[in-house]
Amino acid sequence: MVVPILKQSDVLIASIQAALTDADLLQLRDDLLAKVGQYRSRGVVIDVTALDVMDSFATRTLRSIAEAARLRGARTVIVGIQPEVAITMVQLGLVLGAVSTALDLEEGLELLGALNRKDAPGG
Amino acid sequence: MVDEAREGLEGELLVPIERDPDVVTARQKGREMAVEAGLSGSDLTLIATAISEVARNILVYAGHGEIILRQLERNGRRGVCVIARDEGPGIQDIPLAMQDGYSTGRSLGLGLPGAKRLMDDFEIVSEVGKGVTVTMMKWRR
Amino acid sequence: MADDYARAERHLRDVAEYDVERRRRYVDLQPIDIAQIGELREAILNHLDAHVEAFFGYLAQYPEASGLFSRRNLLEDARRLKREHLIAMVGGEYGRPYVEQRVALGALYSKVRLDIRLFLGAFQALSRSIVNQIMALSPGDGPKGFQRSESLMKIVFFDIGIIMDVLIADREQTITLQQEAIRELSTPTLQVRDRLLIMPIIGVLDTHRARQLTEGLLNAIRANRAKVVVMDVTGVATVDSKVANHLLQTIAAAGLMGAEVIVTGLSAEVAQSLVTLGVDLTKLNAVGDLQGGLEEAERLLGYEVVKTRVQVARRPLD
Repeated sequence: MVVPILKQSDVLIASIQAALTDADLLQLRDDLLAKVGQYRSRGVVIDVTALDVMDSFATRTLRSIAEAARLRGARTVIVGIQPEVAITMVQLGLVLGAVSTALDLEEGLELLGALNRKDAPGG
Repeated sequence: MVDEAREGLEGELLVPIERDPDVVTARQKGREMAVEAGLSGSDLTLIATAISEVARNILVYAGHGEIILRQLERNGRRGVCVIARDEGPGIQDIPLAMQDGYSTGRSLGLGLPGAKRLMDDFEIVSEVGKGVTVTMMKWRR
Repeated sequence: MADDYARAERHLRDVAEYDVERRRRYVDLQPIDIAQIGELREAILNHLDAHVEAFFGYLAQYPEASGLFSRRNLLEDARRLKREHLIAMVGGEYGRPYVEQRVALGALYSKVRLDIRLFLGAFQALSRSIVNQIMALSPGDGPKGFQRSESLMKIVFFDIGIIMDVLIADREQTITLQQEAIRELSTPTLQVRDRLLIMPIIGVLDTHRARQLTEGLLNAIRANRAKVVVMDVTGVATVDSKVANHLLQTIAAAGLMGAEVIVTGLSAEVAQSLVTLGVDLTKLNAVGDLQGGLEEAERLLGYEVVKTRVQVARRPLD
């Protein structure tokens, strides 16, 4: 299951379509980080609406994507965490740390814009 | 607890855990069985996630093993039982393995203690060199 | 009628769980009893109408049973089922089909809200009618009549057990539904403006309600595309550590969905409970009262509240 990655101006959008195996997640990490460099992206949105499970491995991988992307100059926002998934993550003791989250793609893009404006010199 | 679970069996399903995609299959089957047992809402996600954690543990530490899913019924209450079994190296220090953040493999170290928090009953039995059996249950509210 | 069948079916599943065999054992139904009942079959079948009448005649005296008598079609159903009941009662087969018939009749009683005490009275009248007939069958041989009656009484108690289970299960079902409805009403989420929800919590928060609150809130966030939620707990006097922990988890889960929760109206006691949990409270956005919470929410959403100057027309003093 390959996750399609779309480029929209300076933002990359990865929208997960179905359940992912651990290998798929690692593939997504490698693809995203490569593309961030290739397109000099300033933001990454990962849409997890279709994920019905976010276990410790998935959470760790998303967190590491966000951290590595930040080191390469891009902010990451995870969007579409479903209510049941959110409850489970919290009970499992999972935290996304400094990773931002938003309700959906639209919100995520807006949040990225706000974050990048804040980062901009003099802004 | 395993024997108790065996008593109440109605339907049983065995999912071999040998490769990465088997983890996804196991949690999907677990969710389906939970629906059949009358569980709903976030409980389905809790079960699927707990299965994901124990199934990954099998792959990471033992290489292969199996997940057995069962429907339960006790005193008119329904639920599901998940048994994760492998014949890997086993766990030397179970209390240590059950501590948050403890990990020797590629994980956050939240797998086993996390799964325990998600389920109603949780039991882990291991003999060094002989493998690990995790038995966990979730009951309908 | 479809509704009745659904009810009966639901009970059937419950009854089946208890298993018919165990029920028979509980009333000590022996082959000798079934043989004795067999001897009575013909006589009782010949007096079916009188026995049915004993049951319904008893109920007819009481206005409390009007639920049954005011609904002609249900009354006819009940009479027909009662007739079938008596035929089966002396039929010698007390397996699952027999139990199913009893459950169907029990579901009907439940539907007309037949008082359990009235049902017992009517059943007693019915048994008396049958026992009188049994005793009359062996004039001069009291012990024989007594033994036969005793065998039949086992079936009577077997039947009562089933009907009781149906009536009780129905009552419990009603109570559960009412509790559910009350709980849902008790934690509403209100949209005050675009992207802003208020969730006033009033009363006692137990684990069950806290769990419901979590699911309600997270679903409301998704449905209303909320960005900020003001959770007002002014009406909550105390919480135990488990519920306090649950509230914090709910706030964290809302955060994962991209919504910020502002808690307002924490009482001294509830604040204490949260502190003694020993968890990280730095991320908890708490504001003293609801008004302050709304102002904070509007600030987060980028609204600015501007007071427009009030023009007061003054009449010149003259």
